[in-house]
Amino acid sequence: MQDKVVLVTGASRGIGKAIAKHFGSRQAIVIVNYLQNSKCAEEVVRDIEAFGGQGVALQADVTKEAAVNLMLEQIVDSFGTVDVLVNNALCHYTFNPKQRKTAWELEWQDYQTQIDGSLKGTFNTCKAAMPLMKRQNFGRVINMVTNLIDFPIVPYHDYTTAKAAVLGYSHNLAKELGPFGITVNCVAPGLTYPTDSSRDTQEDVREAIIRLTPLGRLAGPEDIAGTVSFLASEEASFITGQTIHVDGGLTMT
Amino acid sequence: MVVPSLSTRCWWLKRDVNKVGVKELEQHISAYYVPQGITFDAYEERTLGQYTLDLPKLTSAKLIEISACVRLNRTKYLCSLQTDEIVQIIDKTIQLWLTPEYPLRKLAETLVPLITGYDAELVRLELKRFLRGFRKKDLYRFLDEEFDNPGLLDNFRPRKSGGFTRAYGPGLIFHVFSGNVPGLPIWSMIMGLLLKSAGIGKTSSSEPLMAALFAQSLAEVDPNLAECLAVLPWKGGSAEVEDLLLEKVDGVIVYGSSQTVEQIKKKVHQAIPVLGYGHKISFAAIGHEALTSDRYQDTVHRLANDISIYDQQSCLSPQVVFVETGGVISPRLFSQLLASELEHYEKRRPRARLTDHEIHAIRSIRNRYEALAISDPEIEVYASKSGTEWTVIYHGEPGFEGSPLNRTVQVYACDNLEDGLGYLRPYRAYLQTVGVAVGPKRLEVLAHQLAEEGVSRITALGQMTLGVSGWHHDARFNLVDLVRFVDIERSAEQLAEIYDPDVE
Repeated sequence: MQDKVVLVTGASRGIGKAIAKHFGSRQAIVIVNYLQNSKCAEEVVRDIEAFGGQGVALQADVTKEAAVNLMLEQIVDSFGTVDVLVNNALCHYTFNPKQRKTAWELEWQDYQTQIDGSLKGTFNTCKAAMPLMKRQNFGRVINMVTNLIDFPIVPYHDYTTAKAAVLGYSHNLAKELGPFGITVNCVAPGLTYPTDSSRDTQEDVREAIIRLTPLGRLAGPEDIAGTVSFLASEEASFITGQTIHVDGGLTMT
Repeated sequence: MVVPSLSTRCWWLKRDVNKVGVKELEQHISAYYVPQGITFDAYEERTLGQYTLDLPKLTSAKLIEISACVRLNRTKYLCSLQTDEIVQIIDKTIQLWLTPEYPLRKLAETLVPLITGYDAELVRLELKRFLRGFRKKDLYRFLDEEFDNPGLLDNFRPRKSGGFTRAYGPGLIFHVFSGNVPGLPIWSMIMGLLLKSAGIGKTSSSEPLMAALFAQSLAEVDPNLAECLAVLPWKGGSAEVEDLLLEKVDGVIVYGSSQTVEQIKKKVHQAIPVLGYGHKISFAAIGHEALTSDRYQDTVHRLANDISIYDQQSCLSPQVVFVETGGVISPRLFSQLLASELEHYEKRRPRARLTDHEIHAIRSIRNRYEALAISDPEIEVYASKSGTEWTVIYHGEPGFEGSPLNRTVQVYACDNLEDGLGYLRPYRAYLQTVGVAVGPKRLEVLAHQLAEEGVSRITALGQMTLGVSGWHHDARFNLVDLVRFVDIERSAEQLAEIYDPDVE
């Protein structure tokens, strides 16, 4: 990963933070994209620098095309390109089984919000990074989805539907961008604990998931980061259009 | 880390801080509780990240002043409360603690992990589980379990055999708290309050905070009741502070090592109740019924839970496991799965940092058995690779040896669980809880056999660390052992009648 330019969206907290730090530890140049929390993003940058990597925090709302384009321009100005794009940002979502909306309580706007956060955000960054990757005949796009698409152990309808859309988008992108030497893959984490989003998932639900999980625990952010790193590596150069579930074997597809 | 806002934080600042000083002292926490008007000349400070615990420097004279004060406050207020009213006050206090946003709960969830080294998530879950056991319904169950008629604590009540009886709690109880299980002192404090006793609690340096925070929350609900309590830190066994106090109290409850309990007992020269909860050993007994193909994973999971909660520092945690042959997994395979499960647990909820002494104890037992394992195929040691996080020592034959704790466990294979019973005898005085996983047909027989060997609590595997309200702690009553029963005999009642000036 030495000197590869890696953009991780939503990287100030949780899984995104772990991914950014992981790339940092492998001496990549990491763009720590964030929406609001500049203090946390700067901390991630400091962590990356402590590993001997190079990091920079860039604010951009990925659901806004203009903001994404501006961010990409800034990256190109400073680092020339984007080699690895990790779409991790999503619209704020709290995974609380007690307070989730049921199918009959959801409004279209709930879906729209999640689709904007997950699909539109991914679309914007991919569209902006595509020309850079095509030009260099190399690119790695890794989109975060969820194992809930295959096994909705708690039906978070709006969130999961939006992630399913990202999965469909990724398959098509893989087909179209493959000839340019660009791979597009997805990582589908199971419940990842602890993160700010999953903190409200009650102990009994976590326990129930653990009991169904062959590897006997929940994913930690570092587990996800390891898989993302693999998909970005040379070893994964002939893999595209795939989804790796990182959930300790809870779902097997 | 969730930190309470300044506005809610201010009032538990050191009481004698002047307002101007609040800004720079905002992270000072009073790790003690005393009635209004008691002041100290000097404090020790203990820094924990951005917080500083203030611990008053105590003299014998000050302690005697405090004991007189809480005793007086008891006479003025607590004695006049009905047990039912006390239950309501405790319940209201517990309800505060069962609110996730309650500032003192948030403070405890932040500070207790820093103080004890226990994983923050573990502390958060275990504290609320523990406190849930003191709601109104549990307190009534606790009282009813111990007294046929809890009204005895309020009035002379008629006896079936004639006459009347009333139960009197000690005027002042000296509590010696241990620090191994966060929140445990609250149990002892509540016991005292239910008996209308004033209390002086000596906190442990390894967890000095929860008792003080609980007293502060009692003060929020009923300031007068909290005035009957003092929670203070001092070095255990320091004669110049403690000895005089022991002459002034009417009852003692001691949690700690067997040595601590014995030391205190030796110092008590009056005929007052002394309840000592010293060192205990608990173990698990897993029958072949719990090792069927549909159950074995659950069984391993339950056991790992019991071992990992508070790193076996609680007396209720298993140090030894008997595993029966005849299941779909052998005791050896069981040990391997347990090792794996403890590794999972370590990732989820890392064990606390240990002292050099504790690390040495684990390394030493590992070395001993690793050496034996070279020549004995019936011994195997499974251990965490990176350090001393967890250790499973497998023995192909039954036996019994305690553990240095901190997620170190001895697994003994046996053809029948009963085969293990013979090895318990040397530990009789220390045996306490057994977590069992056996079928219904064997439960009662096994329970009887275990009881004969000295065990006092038989519970489900997976539930070992959670005592339930009304349990017979170390085979005894809790409240009853502290009270004096006073009888008005039938003769006095009858004689009184004849002195009624209006009698026929």
